[in-house]
Amino acid sequence: MQPSRNSSTESDVQSEVSVITERPWNVIVWNDPVTPMTVVVVIFKRIFGYSSNKCTDLMLTVHHEGRAVVWSGQRERAESYCVKLQVAGLQATVERDA
Amino acid sequence: MAGKLFVRRRDGRIEVRLNDVGRAAIREVFAHVLAAERDPDHEWHLSLNAPINPSSDDDDPLSSLGRQNEIASNAELSIMTLKEQFLNDAEGWAWLSTLQVALRSTAVVNGLLSDEKLESCAPELLDDIRTMQQFLFELAACF
Repeated sequence: MQPSRNSSTESDVQSEVSVITERPWNVIVWNDPVTPMTVVVVIFKRIFGYSSNKCTDLMLTVHHEGRAVVWSGQRERAESYCVKLQVAGLQATVERDA
Repeated sequence: MAGKLFVRRRDGRIEVRLNDVGRAAIREVFAHVLAAERDPDHEWHLSLNAPINPSSDDDDPLSSLGRQNEIASNAELSIMTLKEQFLNDAEGWAWLSTLQVALRSTAVVNGLLSDEKLESCAPELLDDIRTMQQFLFELAACF
């Protein structure tokens, strides 16, 4: 059993390295002049499960800078989060990290 | 509108304290969202189907379909629960999502993409927007 466990561990390490070196996909939320700030915070909390402080910081970044990266990672998950944000009525897109 | 319109009770339900006028206003909003999702010619349809990845020629059709289904499902659930005095958590979330979709669609189709444009829009339109914002503001306090 030992040799196969070693080989499995090696392959796990290799796949982790390949995931880490791939450029992540960012989920972007864009500012708009009508959405109440508290609604943005509530949506972030519901979809990502972030703390209230983190959600408020992200909301303020959207408000002041026009956009914020609210999540980064695998493309499929980024698109899934983007869909959830759009379904909740926020303007959201995905883009590859520069 | 005096007093809270939505109250989260200890048992987890959300109490809806809207009068008939308030419920009629919300019914109209929910019906618009459902119609827009089903009718490609509806003025809100494009704003409900913004691209997920603007740099890509084609978005993932499964993601787009998932979004359409979810928006329509939220609107349907919202309409089905319009007369309820108490909403469970999922129903309350469907109301909030549908209201927010309607609010942003209203802004997009009327070109209200800045604070200046919003403040200078027609008074009736601004009234509609402020009403939706008030509903959203109070409902968000339950989450």
